[in-house]
Amino acid sequence: MLKKTTIDKLPELAAALMEKGTLVAPIKEDAGFNFREITDAKQVDLIFHNTIISPKSAFFPQMEDFVRYQTGKSILEAAPVELNLKPTFLFGVRPCDVKSFQIMDIHFSGTGVVDPYWQKRREATTIFGFAFDMNEAADAAEFYHTLGIGAADPEGSDIFMVRKDDILMLKVITPKGEKLMAGLSFPTDASADEIKYFDDYIAKGHDYKTRYTCVDTEAIAREFESIFDNSDFWTKISDACLSCGVCTFVCPTCYCFDICDETLFSQGTRRRVWDACMFTDFTLEASGHNPRTKVYQRLRQKVCHKYSYHIRKYGVISCVGCGRCTRYCPVNIDIFSIVEEAVKAKWYKRL
Amino acid sequence: MSFEPKILGIACNWCTYTGADLAGTTRLQYPQNLRVVRVMCSSRINPSFIFRAFQLGADGVLVGGCHPGDCHYNTGNLYARRRLAVTKKILEFSGLESGRFRVEWISASEGNKFAEVVTEFTEQIKKLGPQIKFKISQ
Amino acid sequence: MVISFKQIEEKLKTEAKRLLGESQVSIVLAYGKGYDENHPMPYVARNPSDVDNIVFNEYCNYNLARYLVRYPAGTKIAVAVKAADSRAVIQLIQEEKVKREDLVLLGIPVYGMKNPKTHEIIDGKTTGGLYNPVLYDILLGDEVHGQAIQSPYDVLAAYESMDKEARFAFWKKEFDKCIRCYACRKACPMCYCDPCFIDQTKPKWGDKSPQSHGNLMYHLTRFHHLAGRCIDCGECSRACPVDIPLYLFHKKVAKACEEMFGQAAGMSIEDKPALVNFRVDDSDKFLE
Repeated sequence: MLKKTTIDKLPELAAALMEKGTLVAPIKEDAGFNFREITDAKQVDLIFHNTIISPKSAFFPQMEDFVRYQTGKSILEAAPVELNLKPTFLFGVRPCDVKSFQIMDIHFSGTGVVDPYWQKRREATTIFGFAFDMNEAADAAEFYHTLGIGAADPEGSDIFMVRKDDILMLKVITPKGEKLMAGLSFPTDASADEIKYFDDYIAKGHDYKTRYTCVDTEAIAREFESIFDNSDFWTKISDACLSCGVCTFVCPTCYCFDICDETLFSQGTRRRVWDACMFTDFTLEASGHNPRTKVYQRLRQKVCHKYSYHIRKYGVISCVGCGRCTRYCPVNIDIFSIVEEAVKAKWYKRL
Repeated sequence: MSFEPKILGIACNWCTYTGADLAGTTRLQYPQNLRVVRVMCSSRINPSFIFRAFQLGADGVLVGGCHPGDCHYNTGNLYARRRLAVTKKILEFSGLESGRFRVEWISASEGNKFAEVVTEFTEQIKKLGPQIKFKISQ
Repeated sequence: MVISFKQIEEKLKTEAKRLLGESQVSIVLAYGKGYDENHPMPYVARNPSDVDNIVFNEYCNYNLARYLVRYPAGTKIAVAVKAADSRAVIQLIQEEKVKREDLVLLGIPVYGMKNPKTHEIIDGKTTGGLYNPVLYDILLGDEVHGQAIQSPYDVLAAYESMDKEARFAFWKKEFDKCIRCYACRKACPMCYCDPCFIDQTKPKWGDKSPQSHGNLMYHLTRFHHLAGRCIDCGECSRACPVDIPLYLFHKKVAKACEEMFGQAAGMSIEDKPALVNFRVDDSDKFLE
C-alpha cells in the first residue's frame, strides 16, 4: 500500500504523530542535524543528508538513569527508574542507519540476554525510513553500498519514505506501520505512476554506488586475524589517530558503555553512559594495569572489533557504512581505507 | 526570611587562618556566613576547588593568603597571585558575577582586617543574591 | 604575493627525503593523502621511500606539534610547522616535553588555510595573526610579507560586547551541546596530561555523563590549564564534532594573560610559561 502526501503538509503529518506520541526527527542545529524530540511541528523538514549523532541515541541514549539512591540509607530504599514510554515515531532514518538497529539488536536482545531499556524502546518505536536523495552526489565518506545496503533500502523500516520533488511517498512495510498508517487520515493513495516511480527508486538504490563495489566478509576477517600481531602495520595506520572518542560516539553500531554512580551530596544515580574504546581509561584496570596503553592498540581494537571479531562471532560486519566516523574524524582517518589496506584485494574499486 | 549566603573561605595556614584565629581571640564580630577551609599555602588551591564550590552551591568564595613577599614558603603566594588572577578572569568570562570571588592578603596579625573583609564580602554577596548560575540543580 | 602550495609540497618532500636519507632524523611529521583531496591527514614518514606520500594543500591545518610527545624522549624528529604550530613547539620546549636539539623544524610560511568542514579561511580566527613560523631550521618558501596583519583578538569583538548574562547564556548553550568525546583535548598540542583531570576518580572533578555541570567543569578547568599556554592554533574548535567555539574562550584568556603578565605563549624558548613563573612586582590590581 503506497500512500502519498506533499512536503508542505509535513507539519500536519508531524502534528498528527505528535498527538499519538513522541516524535523524534532530525532538527537543524549549529553544527548540523541531530535527532531530537520535536516540540513544534514546523521544525520537521526533510532537507538533510544525515545527522551528526546516529539515531541509535533514540534507543540507547548517551545517558540512561537506572537507579536512584541515597547515601547512608539501605539499598532496599534505592528505587529503579521506570521507563514511561509513549509510542515513539523515529522519523527520517536513512537506510544504512535502519540497518544498524538490526546489528545492535544482536547485542541488546539477540544473544538471549535482553536489555529491557533497549527492548522497550524498540517495541515502542515506529521507524520511518527515508531514502537518500540519489540526485545529489554521493558523500565521499560514505560506503554503505559496499556493505550491501542500498541507498533506498526499505528493510528494517516500519514505514519507508521516498521523496519525489514536492511529494512524499510512504510505503507500509510492517504490520506495526500498517496499524499506524490506518490511523492517519490524510495521506492519500498514490497513483500507478507513483507506485512505479517508488519501486524503480528502490531498485535504483542498489546501483547507487558509494566508493567501492563489494566486500568479502570472510576474506576481511581472515586478513585482520593474520595481521593482528603486525604492530608495524597498526602503528602506521594509527600515526594520525588522536585517540579521541568522536568516531565511536557518532557511530550507529558502537555500543560500549560505562556504569557510573554519580552522587551529589546524598542523592545518587546509577546510570549508563556511553564509553569509547579509544579512551585511555577504557581498559584501565583497578590494579592500575592497562592492557591497551598505545594508540595503535586502541585503534586496532576498534577496527578489528567491527571487521573481524564481529564477523567471526555473529557473521556480520558491525558497520553500516554511514561514513560518520570518517566525516567527523578531526584528522580524517577513513575506516574503510584501513580495511582496504589490510586486505589489499583488487576487487575494491574507487569509483 | 532574609538571604543568608553560604561563603567558602580558603585560608592559608600561616597568615589568614592565624589572622582568623586572632580575630576570634580578640572577640571581633563578623558574620557567620563564612566556612573556612585551611590549606597550607594559597598556592595549594587548585582552581577547580573554586569552580566546584560554586557548583555545589557556594554563593561566594573568599581566598586568603599571606601578603606577597611574606609567604611561609617564600614564593607560594606569588604563583598563587597569577593563578588566581586567571581564575577570576575565567569566572568573569564565563558570565559569573565577578564580585563572587575575592582574593585578599591577610597576615597573622591582621585580625581586624579579616573581620572587616568578611563583613564587607558578606554584605556584597547578600546584595548579589543567591548564586544560581553554576549551582547544580537536582 | 600568492602562496604556491605545490611549491611548499615539493620543498617539504625534498627536505624530508634528505633528512631521512642522511639519517639526521628517524621520522618526519608531515601531511599525507587522506580519503580525498580536501581531507589530508597527518602523516609520518619513516623511510625516504615514504616521502612520495607527503602532500600539502590549503586544508593541511592540523597542528603536528600534537604528535611530538607521543615519541620516546631522544627520538630525532623533523616536523612541518606553520606559524601557530611553531609556537606550540616552542611552548613544549619551554615545558621541557621536547628538546630543541632533537627537532628539525621545517617552517611553512603560509596564509589562506581553510577549514575542511566549512571551507572558510581560518587566518583571522586562529593563526594568532602570524603567517611566518616563529622558530624554524629550514624555511620552505619565502617569508610572507605585505599580507594584512590581523590582530588575533579581532574576532573577539562580538563576544566582548556581551554583558555577563548574555555571556553566561552563550556558554551554557555551547557547553550543553558537548558530547564529551574529548576531541578538543586530544587535538590540543598542549594537552598531554596522563591522566587528564577529568578522568581522575580520586578526587572526581566531574561526572562522566554529558550534563551541563560536568561539561562546565571540564571546559572551565581546561581553559584554566591552557591559560598562558594556548598558542591559538584553533585545533580544538575544528576537531569538535558539534562546533563549540572553544577558540573564543581560549583567545579571551590568552588576551587577559598577555595583558596581565606581558607575555604571549610560545614566542621565545627563553621564556617560562606565565603561570609557572611570577614577578615580585606583579600587580594586585588583577585580583580586584
